[in-house]
Amino acid sequence: MIQAGGSGHLGGAMSCIDIVTSLYAGILKIDRRHPEDPARDRFLLSAGHKALAQYAVLTLFGFAPESTLDTYGSYGSALPGHPDMHKLPGVEGNTGALGHGAAIAAGMALAARLDGRGSRTVVVLGDGELAEGSNWEAFAAAAHHRLGALVAVIDSNGLQISGPVGDIMDLSSLEAKMQAFGWDTVTIDGHDYGQIDDAFSKPSEPFGRPTAIIARTVKGQGIPGLAGTLESHYWTPSEEELATALHELDERIARLLRHERREVSA
Amino acid sequence: MSAMRDPRKTFGAALTSAAERDAAIVALSVDSGLSSGLGQLRATHPERYIEVGIMEQAATGMASGLATAGKVPVLCAIAPFVTARNFEMFRNDLGYMRQNVKIVGRNAGLSYSQLGPTHHSLDDIALTRMIPGVVVIAPQDCGEIEGAVQAMLRHDGPVYMRIGAGGIPDLFPPGPFKIGRGRVITEGDHVTVVSTGHVTAAVQDAVADLRARGIRAEHIGMPTIEPLDGELLLASISRTGRIVTVEEHYERGGLGGAVAELLSKTLRAPHLVIGVPHRFVPSGPYEDVLEACGLDVRSLTDRIAAFAGEEAPLVS
Repeated sequence: MIQAGGSGHLGGAMSCIDIVTSLYAGILKIDRRHPEDPARDRFLLSAGHKALAQYAVLTLFGFAPESTLDTYGSYGSALPGHPDMHKLPGVEGNTGALGHGAAIAAGMALAARLDGRGSRTVVVLGDGELAEGSNWEAFAAAAHHRLGALVAVIDSNGLQISGPVGDIMDLSSLEAKMQAFGWDTVTIDGHDYGQIDDAFSKPSEPFGRPTAIIARTVKGQGIPGLAGTLESHYWTPSEEELATALHELDERIARLLRHERREVSA
Repeated sequence: MSAMRDPRKTFGAALTSAAERDAAIVALSVDSGLSSGLGQLRATHPERYIEVGIMEQAATGMASGLATAGKVPVLCAIAPFVTARNFEMFRNDLGYMRQNVKIVGRNAGLSYSQLGPTHHSLDDIALTRMIPGVVVIAPQDCGEIEGAVQAMLRHDGPVYMRIGAGGIPDLFPPGPFKIGRGRVITEGDHVTVVSTGHVTAAVQDAVADLRARGIRAEHIGMPTIEPLDGELLLASISRTGRIVTVEEHYERGGLGGAVAELLSKTLRAPHLVIGVPHRFVPSGPYEDVLEACGLDVRSLTDRIAAFAGEEAPLVS
């Protein structure tokens, strides 16, 4: 997609990529053949600028053909810079402006409960995004209405466009803040698939405290030379940089696959 | 003297009655439901009366989320707080997402005159009609409110309805409300006068006074601003050659703006926009504030008479 579009919010996409992958790989009950099934779990990317992650995962799991990825950045693409629910199956809301997703997700969770469905609603937010006050309105409302089937994953990569989140607007003690708002919290390594799965292992109750999963992540995770840097926020690589990064990634994937095969055969 | 009714109570009763028949309807309250006439709904269907406290931004987002699952959320509160305060949520979560949510701004215009500019709503038509796909309606009496509640609930998509407060007179016999249709209230051939919302009652009186002064105004009531009934307007203007728009809203961006945009693309005709002057309006008794803004019957009559009496209508 970066190749096709030339640039994108890659840093945040890569900090949440393992979370989004885990969600679609087994945590969420969403059937790609019936993405409109009313009984489905709902996933909303409040930090809509991380859309690259959702696009990659949705195509990986067959919600759209892989060739769709090559349209990224072109006029009228089903993969706009921020997601559009009317263009790509699996996208549940038109996020992009920050501070919208938590409230929309709360409404989805409320609707599911009104209809007597046990489905779960998961919203992924960025840590920089939490400075938007509208999130805290939504957090309060979700706890007040005891939306136990609502999960907010805070992708805490610690960086935002102008610098470290703590320097821009310090919202540290996030666990204590969320707990004070009436949420259960669990803090995990957001790149550890086991920890991600465990965090979702608790069955959701229609009435109860909503859950905040605070995922410690690395901005630009996995991109050679870019991980953990501010530069990864909106990456516009030269052809050479992109080729180098892709080459290194291909080599790493090949190494991992060899390693996996050895483990399987052992 | 025609009967006076309260728009808020009328709206609340109409919505409650509709909710009795349609379980998909849910009311959202931002500590505003009881003052919006929804006390009975809260008593009979507490699960469909969702109180979220004073948080219009999240309430709008939640309405969007509820709508994704087939609910028909209705959020009613003081007009500026559900149009200006939450504007980005209205635009993105309802407009861009094309959600079937109904926002009702009550005490619109200057009807909270004593509470000052924070509570006046003089830009809500401009704001909401700027969002693609949003229907904007301003019923002119309580009968139209009853019909408009049914019509907005039948319409699949975001709707903004603005209503006033206090007692307003019944103007029309009850009947169905059609979104996008205006009505000729009084026929005439000297000047077309089109009004929207509860100010129509005063305009009706002004039109009667004009007749006594020999000016035959054609009065068109236009309870839908978006989409505008351009056909009705253009047919009238092509006969009268002049148009006056009247609204309890800023002179910019509302009905006057919509009509000016239409005329710029169709025919040239002198157009007088009567609305609230573009400034923060001092607080005071409603009648005094209206008079200061030139929206009382006498001012309306004089301004329209002066405009209609000007030389040679220009239609091309």
